[in-house]
Amino acid sequence: MPRETFQQELDHLVGDMVALGREVEASMDTMVEAMQAQDAEIARRVIGVDAGYKQRGLELDEECIILQARQAPVARDLRLIYTVQAVTNHLVRAGTLSEHICRAIVDTGGVEHDPDLASTLSEMARAARNLFHEGLNVFEMRDIDRARDLEAADDKVDLLYSEAMNLIVNPSDNGGGSPEWRIRAALIVHYLERIADHGVDVGGRTVFLVTGERMESAMQQYRERRVESDED
Amino acid sequence: MLGMKIEDLSAFYGSFKAVTGVSMNIQANKVTALIGPSGCGKSTFLRCLNRMHEVIPGAYAEGGVHLGDQDIYAKDADPVTIRRRIGMVFQKPNPFSKSIYENVAWGARINGYKGDMDELVERSLRRAALWEEVKDKLKKSGFDLSGGQQQRLVIARTLAVEPEVILMDEPASALDPVSTQKIEDTMADLKKRYTVVIVTHNMQQAARISDYTGFFYIEHMGDPGRLWEFDETDKVFSAPGRKETEDYVTGRFG
Repeated sequence: MPRETFQQELDHLVGDMVALGREVEASMDTMVEAMQAQDAEIARRVIGVDAGYKQRGLELDEECIILQARQAPVARDLRLIYTVQAVTNHLVRAGTLSEHICRAIVDTGGVEHDPDLASTLSEMARAARNLFHEGLNVFEMRDIDRARDLEAADDKVDLLYSEAMNLIVNPSDNGGGSPEWRIRAALIVHYLERIADHGVDVGGRTVFLVTGERMESAMQQYRERRVESDED
Repeated sequence: MLGMKIEDLSAFYGSFKAVTGVSMNIQANKVTALIGPSGCGKSTFLRCLNRMHEVIPGAYAEGGVHLGDQDIYAKDADPVTIRRRIGMVFQKPNPFSKSIYENVAWGARINGYKGDMDELVERSLRRAALWEEVKDKLKKSGFDLSGGQQQRLVIARTLAVEPEVILMDEPASALDPVSTQKIEDTMADLKKRYTVVIVTHNMQQAARISDYTGFFYIEHMGDPGRLWEFDETDKVFSAPGRKETEDYVTGRFG
């Protein structure tokens, strides 16, 4: 087949990106474990991973630029390189958020927690992690039917978001934990919601990769939410 | 400016059918690129659009080709008039062995042009983006120019007879990158006044300069060529509708 070298370079690029995704997932697993156990020591293992992910993200980005310059890709090759650049960004950001959450767990290790809120956060963390995992699977399998299911899974994360926010604003009778914990919990809720969004987006990008069409509804939901949240 | 409408066009060389069943609308004031593997009938199809195909002994076309409302294959249609209205630029520059000035003036003169010839020559050379380079040596031979300049001279010669459509058969394939870029820049300008159809093997060129792209393809060896996909260029080069088109534009075969 002509362009064998180019195809190998593309395969290599995708392999590197998926490997990065799986490492981010491993950090996310540790984050979920730390949250469930309320264990600062476990959370500490994730501190510092972000710099490495960012570096890998830059390297992938550079590979994409070089491939575009040298190979002038079109059609599915162009969509693939564009998608790798976009998905890499989602992976790196999700990794950053996982570290932020772990840092919050470390920082609030000694303060009083609200068990109801902690339990909701744990559930939300699992749901966000599973959604992110599924998004990466959708990309790896190019399974765009499953991409549509991501939105339903994201609705569940959004429900947990509302539930957690409600507990933060209206603490339960058993005290609701220290104010410092509640502030950090609000941030964690926000970070988890963003992680889930990154997972949905990886699926949406895959729809574009396979069909050339945008998964408009998913992207639209994402954009609407983005207005009220920061870049992370 | 007029567009062209092609209906169920087939082209033959004697008993051999080279192209079959092509229908497409060529939009006025747009650049339409025709791409596809070698031998799939692009150039044959292009030559059918101004009745140049039938010049080859035994070659003929069937089907409908309209320039605006006029059926160019109608019994009373004069092929010479058709070829004046639908000009053609070939792969290799083919200036006449005359001066630069005469190369441009010649076609207009034999067509009985009565206006200011100096003005026509200058205007045509300007539109072909060659004027600045040749204005001080109009009396020199066309062969004294570089390949890229010769090709623009041929374009100027084509423009001088005031055609409505310009057909280009790989006009830049024998040129260096700078000359190629000048031809491409010229084309962007030309489509303001003319309808342009270009056959090219340079995929990136098609992507850069055209508004619409037609992909010609032969499914089985020995079959005639067909128009496999025709769409806006942006679509063909970002998300084509058919697998064969995608395989071709991404360089996986052909």
